[in-house]
Amino acid sequence: MNLKKVNRKLEKRFGSAAHASFHDGMITVTGHLPKWSDVVEACSSAATKYSKVHVVNDIVCDEVKEQPMRMPKITDKSLDGETPDVLIIGGGISGVSIARELSKWKLDILLVEKEADLALQASGRNDGEVHPGVDLSKGSMKHYYIRKGNEMYDEVCRELDVPFKRVGQYVCFDKTWLKPAIALYCLWRRKHDGISDTELISGEELHRREPNLGENFKFAISNPSSGCVCPYGLTIAYAENAVMNGARVALNTAVTGMQVENGKIVSVSTNRGTIHPKIVINAAGVFAEDIAKMADDRFFSIHPRRGTNSILDKKAGAFMHSIASVVGLNFGKNHSKGGGILHTVHDNLLLGPDAVETFEKENTETRKESIQTVFTKQKKTMPTVSERDIITYFTGVRAPTFEEDFIIEKGRKTENIIHCAGIQSPGLTTAPAVALDIEKMAVEMLTKNAPVAKNSGYNPIRHGVPVLREMSDEERNKLIKENPDYGVIICRCEEISKGEILDALKSPICVPTVDGIKKRIRPGMGRCQGGFCSPLVTKIIAEYLGVPISEVKKSSEDSVITFGKTK
Amino acid sequence: MKKNYDVIVIGGGPAGLAAAIKAHDSGKAVLLVERENRLGGILKQCIHDGFGLVRFKEKLSGPEYAERFIDEFYEKKIDYSVLTFVTRIEKKENGFAVTLVSRDGVTTVGANSLVFATGCRERTAKQVAIHGTRPAGVFTAGTAQHFTNLLGELPTKKCVILGSGDIGLIMARRLTLEGAEVVGVYEAKPTPSGLTRNIHQCLHDYNIPLYLSHTVTRVFGADRLTAVEISEVDDKMNPIAGTEQIVECDALILSVGLIPENELAEGLGVKIDPRTKGPAVNGQLMTSIDGVFSCGNALHVNDLVDYVSESGETAGENAAAYEKKERREIDLTASGEFLYVVPQKLDLNRDNSRTTVYFRSREILDKCVFKIKKDGQEVFKKKYPFLRPPEMEKLVIDFDSFKLDESSELKLEIEVNAE
Repeated sequence: MNLKKVNRKLEKRFGSAAHASFHDGMITVTGHLPKWSDVVEACSSAATKYSKVHVVNDIVCDEVKEQPMRMPKITDKSLDGETPDVLIIGGGISGVSIARELSKWKLDILLVEKEADLALQASGRNDGEVHPGVDLSKGSMKHYYIRKGNEMYDEVCRELDVPFKRVGQYVCFDKTWLKPAIALYCLWRRKHDGISDTELISGEELHRREPNLGENFKFAISNPSSGCVCPYGLTIAYAENAVMNGARVALNTAVTGMQVENGKIVSVSTNRGTIHPKIVINAAGVFAEDIAKMADDRFFSIHPRRGTNSILDKKAGAFMHSIASVVGLNFGKNHSKGGGILHTVHDNLLLGPDAVETFEKENTETRKESIQTVFTKQKKTMPTVSERDIITYFTGVRAPTFEEDFIIEKGRKTENIIHCAGIQSPGLTTAPAVALDIEKMAVEMLTKNAPVAKNSGYNPIRHGVPVLREMSDEERNKLIKENPDYGVIICRCEEISKGEILDALKSPICVPTVDGIKKRIRPGMGRCQGGFCSPLVTKIIAEYLGVPISEVKKSSEDSVITFGKTK
Repeated sequence: MKKNYDVIVIGGGPAGLAAAIKAHDSGKAVLLVERENRLGGILKQCIHDGFGLVRFKEKLSGPEYAERFIDEFYEKKIDYSVLTFVTRIEKKENGFAVTLVSRDGVTTVGANSLVFATGCRERTAKQVAIHGTRPAGVFTAGTAQHFTNLLGELPTKKCVILGSGDIGLIMARRLTLEGAEVVGVYEAKPTPSGLTRNIHQCLHDYNIPLYLSHTVTRVFGADRLTAVEISEVDDKMNPIAGTEQIVECDALILSVGLIPENELAEGLGVKIDPRTKGPAVNGQLMTSIDGVFSCGNALHVNDLVDYVSESGETAGENAAAYEKKERREIDLTASGEFLYVVPQKLDLNRDNSRTTVYFRSREILDKCVFKIKKDGQEVFKKKYPFLRPPEMEKLVIDFDSFKLDESSELKLEIEVNAE
């Protein structure tokens, strides 16, 4: 990093309005800029890709309206005075996978999540691709974990009873003259970067495998190790297994501050009381910088990046059975491969995402422009995709650092924190491998004070709610004979029975809301989007809880569905 | 339940009930399968009146209309199974194997012919490109009706209704009667989508404003819906920038169209007409697959239940009489003035002497003539003072009198502004 060069660049672009300085092993960019896009540009130009010297953004920006983090409605003292060995902040894929790996040890593990359920932010709002890492080069944390993570998926998903399919990925090119360069690129990835499944295939071979992909594709990079998984399903499964093994999960619990003394976090305040953990794990996604700041350990910045995905009807799922994307000349230069079309593990097609910088960490509104951008691009990948087949769309917010790499390390100034920050794509793929490393770091940290024993009762096997629609008639018949509720279909589109809904209500982390049930077993995820089943699911939840229907919520405490009895 | 039936009817709403009764009357063994716990279909939640004017010459509520068929159905002791879901249908050498899931387990039943009376579903918010947040309080009109009429729960205190389809209009009145405020009904098209009588009886009589050429472009609210953004639209129904206004409310209720439900039928390979979104059928309401019949709102979205029952009877009667025969089909080609025409084909090896034709015009047309031309020669005409897309038209035509053969070209046309 050459600070002088950085400042020359900043001055040329922004005059005296932005300035970089180096201290405490980080680059702080200060100044005053009108627009958020300027801030991203200034900080990105000060950052070195994949560097461990991070850029911290202290620029005042006119456009940014500081919005307080959305808080859970509830306030009580239910966690007051708790003294867990490990406090994990964040119920996304990072936090829950760490909780599960740590539950191999005899530890008091508490995971807090501010939302009403797990995986409600980035982990539940991504495309579910298990990446091969074909766009990653050696030297980055992303690359360090990608193969390990990818290779762990078969076993992890088997243990956690989560569907996972290695469907393969095709990065498609329409310019023949690029072929020699891309052939070299593939060789380099294979030999140098260890992405060993990378292969160049001809256009004919591509079309033989996926006949509906764009006719003008001349060749493609193929990575058979690429797969798809249900990202929120995996997150919930990890958390359930952690809970089975003794960890605790507190939903609707937001961290609001920390007391740090002599480089050590002594207490963490939340809306449910003050917690005194031995160590803290920061897996707070877009809020990871805020958590680091509370812990007096801020050495990186997060710049949120929005992405919108569309889900198409299962009928469109028949168009293609893998993951494919069209590439332009900027291949390898962007932060991700730029979205694509993915045949989901539930047999829908998913299109997206796009990538839009934003200062709003929690704004998951969808916009028309995002859908248009994605469809314009992906119609080149596969001309048969149509907006008419859309059944839903959703927006997630990624949490990248300016170095565009993960931060998986112990606190730099504060001694009892571990950061799992800057997690963006391929964070879902790497999570199983990252969790193992953080488990080691945490156990090492705790061992300094007292020995940590193995949890003798640890069981890595979790059984999900049985999926009757995928069973043979014999198996299904047998289960219905044992429990006739399995024969009462509530969600016609996804063929979900009352028995499965009741099972989800009895699952280890019960979230008795319409969205909670939907995320666990899919009623309402089909083409009618809950038009037929949502009143029925609401009623089943009310009956199960023994409350009036008007007390059943869509998701959060204030997301009421009905206002009580009619006249 | 027996192992084999002559006819299996899928769906116990008005179309399915009528089909099952007719097939039974032909002396056939019939099984009706219904996935809900009671017969009657969507009529169960349609507690308003106006049903049966064509058929019974009286105004009945939805449940009353259904009751007449259900009573007859029970009296005739026709086999049926409620809370029973068809999970799979396979074509066999002789007929079909229908696999059912119910509280009793998984069973497979054989049938010589099938009647699909599977109704329709509502278009959703995302299908009409509504953006913004995802709060509680976005309902399709049918879902809001289910909450209100079947569960007795009020889904809104102050709402905006998007779309002037009949269910939306009915719900505007229903919610007003329950004390909720309906801020307005907003329709993207320049003309209403629902029946004229519903515009009067549900909106005008209750002073609920109808805004044409307006649509909802965005919803707000992190938990429960707090407001919607409304925009005016141009003649291509695209929102006009600068016309946005924010309307505070706690719910958005959508009545933006119905889609025939044919996923099961499509699984068998039944060909769908993109205009009706239902199966393309011949005069017997038989689909592209031999022995598979379609009726009611699964065939095309009807305006009146009376016609749903009627097509159910046609399908039931023909399904009962079905035996495999070679087809000799010709197309009924409809000109661009039609939104759609049912049936789409005629099988010259069957009786077409009193074939019912259902159609809708694409636009509002005044003083027009419906014409059938055979090889360019007019063979049938009927004058209409006006045609309106929300109102379906029905004709019974003796096609056999036109002396058709495989080479005949049959064209349906609408001549506009005729004297």
